[in-house]
Amino acid sequence: MNPAAQQLESPWPHRWAVALVCATFPMIWIGGLVTTTGAGMAVPDWPNTYGYNLFLYPWQTWVFGPWKLFIEHGHRLFGTVVGMIAIGFLASALWCQKRAALRWLALVALVGVIGQGILGGMRVRMNEVTLAQIHGCVGPAFFAFAVVCAVVTSSRWREAEAPTGAGIARIERLAVIITLLAMLQIVLGSFLRHLPTGARPGDFRLALWFHLFVAVGLWAHIALITFRVWRGFRDERWLRAPATRLSILILLQVLLGLGTWVAKYGFPGWMSGFEFAAAYRPTADSIGQVVMATTHVAIGSLILATSTLLAMRAWRLSSLAALANSKSEPVRRTLNTPKLLMEVAR
Amino acid sequence: MNRTLLNYSWFTGCVALLSLLTGCGQGSPPQFRLDTVALAEKQIPAEQVQDISNILEAMFGTPDDPFVLPETGLDLNLVKMSAGPVASDEFGRETGLYRRHCAHCHGTTGDGMGPTAMLLNPYPRDYRRGIFKFKSTERAAKPTTHDLDYIVREGVQGTAMPAFGLLPEVQIKSLVEYVKYLSMRGQVEIRLSDALLDLSEDEKLQPTRELLVDEILTPIAESWSAAGDSIIPTDGDNARPEMELAASIAKGQELFYSTKANCVKCHGFGALGDGQSTDFDDWSKAIDEAHKSLNGDIATLDDPGEMTSEEKAELAQRIARLSLALDTDSLPPRTAKPRNLRQGIYRGGRAPYDLYRRFYAGINGTPMPGVGPPSPGAPGTLTNDEIWNLVDYVLSLPYDPISSPPRQQQHVSRAAL
Repeated sequence: MNPAAQQLESPWPHRWAVALVCATFPMIWIGGLVTTTGAGMAVPDWPNTYGYNLFLYPWQTWVFGPWKLFIEHGHRLFGTVVGMIAIGFLASALWCQKRAALRWLALVALVGVIGQGILGGMRVRMNEVTLAQIHGCVGPAFFAFAVVCAVVTSSRWREAEAPTGAGIARIERLAVIITLLAMLQIVLGSFLRHLPTGARPGDFRLALWFHLFVAVGLWAHIALITFRVWRGFRDERWLRAPATRLSILILLQVLLGLGTWVAKYGFPGWMSGFEFAAAYRPTADSIGQVVMATTHVAIGSLILATSTLLAMRAWRLSSLAALANSKSEPVRRTLNTPKLLMEVAR
Repeated sequence: MNRTLLNYSWFTGCVALLSLLTGCGQGSPPQFRLDTVALAEKQIPAEQVQDISNILEAMFGTPDDPFVLPETGLDLNLVKMSAGPVASDEFGRETGLYRRHCAHCHGTTGDGMGPTAMLLNPYPRDYRRGIFKFKSTERAAKPTTHDLDYIVREGVQGTAMPAFGLLPEVQIKSLVEYVKYLSMRGQVEIRLSDALLDLSEDEKLQPTRELLVDEILTPIAESWSAAGDSIIPTDGDNARPEMELAASIAKGQELFYSTKANCVKCHGFGALGDGQSTDFDDWSKAIDEAHKSLNGDIATLDDPGEMTSEEKAELAQRIARLSLALDTDSLPPRTAKPRNLRQGIYRGGRAPYDLYRRFYAGINGTPMPGVGPPSPGAPGTLTNDEIWNLVDYVLSLPYDPISSPPRQQQHVSRAAL
């Protein structure tokens, strides 16, 4: 372990970062539920709730009142919990971390939570669906960022050693590509979920085909990275675990995507020859429909987060491998990475 | 940066930005759209198109702020509940129901051209003609409120039309009222454009109460309110005859394959829906005819003969207008697919009286003809008893050995034991 790492032993920043990750994922579920159930405008004001301060709204009305009010107000309250955790993360980073990079990361995390809250608030105050779309994309992006914070503050990150296998740079590139594709999928999915009122049939069809096309691309890249990790880095659990999880998640996500379509729009016309398809009709607001669509959204975010995790770890190992190959040179950049982030890799 | 990653980043960034920007500018309130295909076909000038739009707005309001005249017989409170953006209040009262549940398929105007429409088979219903398939009334009559309520509540099997039975009663009522509102609005639009056709070039439409309300709106509203008078009875003279089921089925089978009922022509000799399927339903037929008209005009322009240059310019303008309308405001026509009767799935309801009404009046808007009296007192293609025989036969088809050989064989094996 290098001397710098020895000084940064406090586990608290990492614990706060993990808490941030663990709190953000349920937020994404609840946010997805807000959209699926059409609760986005269940509370017409912000930051208050029907004139009450957010924390002073009568809890009986919240808990025992209308379902949409419960979801939307609950979403806001949970958002404050995430915000508190982000504050805790920043405080611990300022207190315990000598590396400026990590302190900046923690600050960005807090700004991210606040920004996301403001985006949600503006969506409500302006009743603007485009802001709902953006809010729905920033949430998963923040989740991925929280994962970055948790990874770089972990002891495993500090204690990582150069891998023995070759080809880590390719793994790193693949992981970054998967992360980008996963984010793109979320944006496309967000468009499909928040259809602009004036959208024409061609718009939706184009977005859907793109969504399917990227899904195939994502699946192919995930299959490739899993294959390469298992072939070249079988003993490297740090890579193997997220790669395997990605494979499972993408299969699950494809099934959920198909299920979401069927739950919403029924089976396609070409399947009318099958009795089960001809007999089926969707049920609006059924538990199945709600759970399917919301889970699809949540797993999409999980794929993004897992690919981000894999990309960060691959990057870390790639940097160490480059360092090991050239002892006299400083850490060779495998990506054109800002200097600030390179501090994180030390 | 690695070139591959750079390219990927640019690509995803551009597509992501494009997707989000596509939503921009959609923040303006949604508006009702006119049927530009019909207007182009009727060659209604642009100024008069604007007149139609203004009149409709005065008579029906906007998607966010609807309005109904008393003559429509519609409940404005119910209409308003379904109108506007999606929201709910502290007591759980929801508004914007149509936009939440229906507009993505049926479109803001109820023209069946919502964003998802092109991907659905069959297409979502276009309410504007006032034609509805599954109802209890005579073929040309409007559906009753109960008919629409049934479809909204139960959905339509084998289609993307969901069942909304989980919604509170008042919300279902509101959606039904809003469908009637959109349908009336669409029908008024058609009558207005027809009224313009009767005018000469110099004349302008005079939006008088006499024209708009007495001559156009009131007959439409009355056709809706009188729907209850056109319900096809299934009792009295139309009651099911006292007849042994097996005999009734045998008679029905005879009729099914006869030239009298001629069911096999479309439903096929195996009743699998594999007979003739080259006919369009009314909605697709209109678009198909518009395409034919356009092609005819194009052919004329290619070989103008002795047309003057002004006539040619006018024709070219007409072609451009109709072509644009068809590209942007219509879905590709689809032929009507006859039902596979061996599946036991009947979209308008599976009770015997549902099928009776389906055969009696046919399915409005589709090539499915009625075999009952076209009007009270007039003779039908089939007698009342014969219609019931046909009902019994069709209901027996899913249990026919040819429909499910394995089940039949298992039944025999158990009996043999």
